[in-house]
Amino acid sequence: MRTIQNKPEVLAPAGTLEKLKVAIDYGADAVYIGGDAYGLRTRAGNFSFDQMREGVAYAHARHAKVYVAANIVAHEGDTAGAGRFFQTLREIGIDAVIVSDPALIEIAILEAPGLPVHLSTQASAANYETLNFWQSEGLERVVLAREVGIEEIKEMRRHTDVQIEAFIHGAMCIGYSGRCVLSNHMSMRDANRGGCAQNCRWKYDLFEMPTAGQREEETDAKTPFTMSAVDMAMIEHIPDLIEAGVNSFKIEGRMKSIHYVSTVANVYRQAVDSYCADPEHYQLDPAWVDELWKVAQREMSTGFYYGTPTADDELFGKRRKRPSYAFVGEVMAYDPAKKLATIRQRNNFGVGDQIEFYGPHFTHHTETLTQLWDEDYDILLRAPDAMMICKVPVTQPVKPGDMLRRANQLV
Amino acid sequence: MNLITTVASVQQAEALLAAGVDTLYLGESEFGLRLPADIHQADLKTIVPMAHAAGKKVTVAVNAIFHNDRIEKVRAYLHVLADLKVDAVTIGDPGAIHVLQQEVPELAYIYDAEVVVTSAQQVNFWARHGATGAVIAREVPYGELVTMAPELTVPGEIQVYGATCIHQSGRPLLHNYFDFVKDHQDRADRQRGLFIAIPQHQNDHYSIYEDRNGTHIFANNDLNLMTKLDQLYQLGLTNWKLDGLFTDETQFVAIAKAFVAAKQALAAGTWTPALAAELSQQVVANQPVNRGLDTGFYEIDPSEVQ
Repeated sequence: MRTIQNKPEVLAPAGTLEKLKVAIDYGADAVYIGGDAYGLRTRAGNFSFDQMREGVAYAHARHAKVYVAANIVAHEGDTAGAGRFFQTLREIGIDAVIVSDPALIEIAILEAPGLPVHLSTQASAANYETLNFWQSEGLERVVLAREVGIEEIKEMRRHTDVQIEAFIHGAMCIGYSGRCVLSNHMSMRDANRGGCAQNCRWKYDLFEMPTAGQREEETDAKTPFTMSAVDMAMIEHIPDLIEAGVNSFKIEGRMKSIHYVSTVANVYRQAVDSYCADPEHYQLDPAWVDELWKVAQREMSTGFYYGTPTADDELFGKRRKRPSYAFVGEVMAYDPAKKLATIRQRNNFGVGDQIEFYGPHFTHHTETLTQLWDEDYDILLRAPDAMMICKVPVTQPVKPGDMLRRANQLV
Repeated sequence: MNLITTVASVQQAEALLAAGVDTLYLGESEFGLRLPADIHQADLKTIVPMAHAAGKKVTVAVNAIFHNDRIEKVRAYLHVLADLKVDAVTIGDPGAIHVLQQEVPELAYIYDAEVVVTSAQQVNFWARHGATGAVIAREVPYGELVTMAPELTVPGEIQVYGATCIHQSGRPLLHNYFDFVKDHQDRADRQRGLFIAIPQHQNDHYSIYEDRNGTHIFANNDLNLMTKLDQLYQLGLTNWKLDGLFTDETQFVAIAKAFVAAKQALAAGTWTPALAAELSQQVVANQPVNRGLDTGFYEIDPSEVQ
């Protein structure tokens, strides 16, 4: 029976140390994080050096890797201290840095030799000669432009042996990443230095204007023009990605929640393991798709993997309804004798709620809560306070680290 | 000083050379981004000797973002350009640089990755990889050019007239919209003249069009840095590009003449603010009626952009 030994990596986002640990517990082979400088997600929780040390220790103890995104495009003066920064990352044991600006790439390679460098998707690498160029510069891996299709990846594989990383899930830029300064011009926030105001997702009038001020509207009044992409989800095409030779499956979302990170990492871990164990008999589990919808923020598509995106891959008009789940708590402890779970509250929940428990290795069960106590076993109807510790009886065993979610109305 | 202008036709190339520009910039959309017209090889065979006979230069645009299919065409195209003895190409995709260095290392290239060329350190990286110049992003204000200019190891090129591209998508954003609203229109090309604006902003007008390189969106107003040329001259940033993407062919030549006059005045030491204002008015007078002009990011305080 054929199996795949050289499994692709599942690479998850980790905006915080807590999310880093959750991502790894839920099956990520690697996580990417941001430091205090040089990264594009200035509004995500970023890691201090001490937090990086703790994260690296946690990850390496579990055979997982930690990458740091340093993917700004520097202006004059922005690279001051970058050499020392990269040296510190190397000393901490960071497994690679993700960089797009050639100036920063050069600093990393020259001043922190031994620290692997990955080309960020912000550089929009879309052909194999670009991959070869960066490999000859000493880069270990290239994160492809999100405009690259499956057939193009196969062609790249015939011309290069540099590691290929590709986005498989999450939000997407509508333009070539890096080649967009809508935010600079419309909002005075530099898209390539972490300030992106997501102007592509705004609504616009579209018009001809033969002379200044004389607009001839083209926009359908009920449906404004916009440039908002739906999100990517490649769960139904894992075999194609593996067979094309993608080495790392990247999940977008350093700004996203623990609920998202745990759910998405869990699903792709299952799919990758399942395919690699027995490619001939692999079947997509519909439960994986259902699971991804529980944390979806938008509709989902396959981006450019199977051709140029159409109107269906953009968010025009009214949004379609989708399920919404609230992340309500996490399991801190479980007493098998009493069949009692200790829960840390993350959102209001209580007696009568139908709660889904899920955990690493894709374990799931749902039950209606019948009783609820606080830490001192005083009876509660609701758990209203953030991070409060409470206890609930459960019919099936749970584990510390399992999560609780509750279905809401369609949104 | 080196005045570089786009070219829309053989006739315009002739007029621009007669007007006194130093370098013609042209190409075709298969390889170059956002050009006023496709100038194919047959016309290059006319234009290149014509420019050289006048003691002028020709740079060809090879600055698109290439996928696998087109990077192979770049290989052959660079040979053609070298055989035609063009003086340089612009390149923004490192894959094309890799190909150039394998195939025609004698062909000069100017690094042009548009919005991401924002520091001397980056320009100098490409200089160490053979670039003979670089096009500086239009988002670099004067306050940063002051520190950048003395650090550059190869000349930095500044766009001083014309449209500023602020977004390139690989998707057909206009046709996707027309499809969604079931208003199946054929045209989303540049000649049609579509704009977008935020509904509350009645004075805004961002050009948008589609071509083989995707969908392109441009800044609200075009650049006119005529009155800033003396500052750029003092910084030693004297490679000036005029982009006639949206400008009528004849009016673009008139605009080029105004910049030639400015260049001559700087060289002769006869530049005055009054002359600059007068020449700037000539630019304004020849600007398309549906497009504004301003100085873009040039005068913005770098600390204002977060």
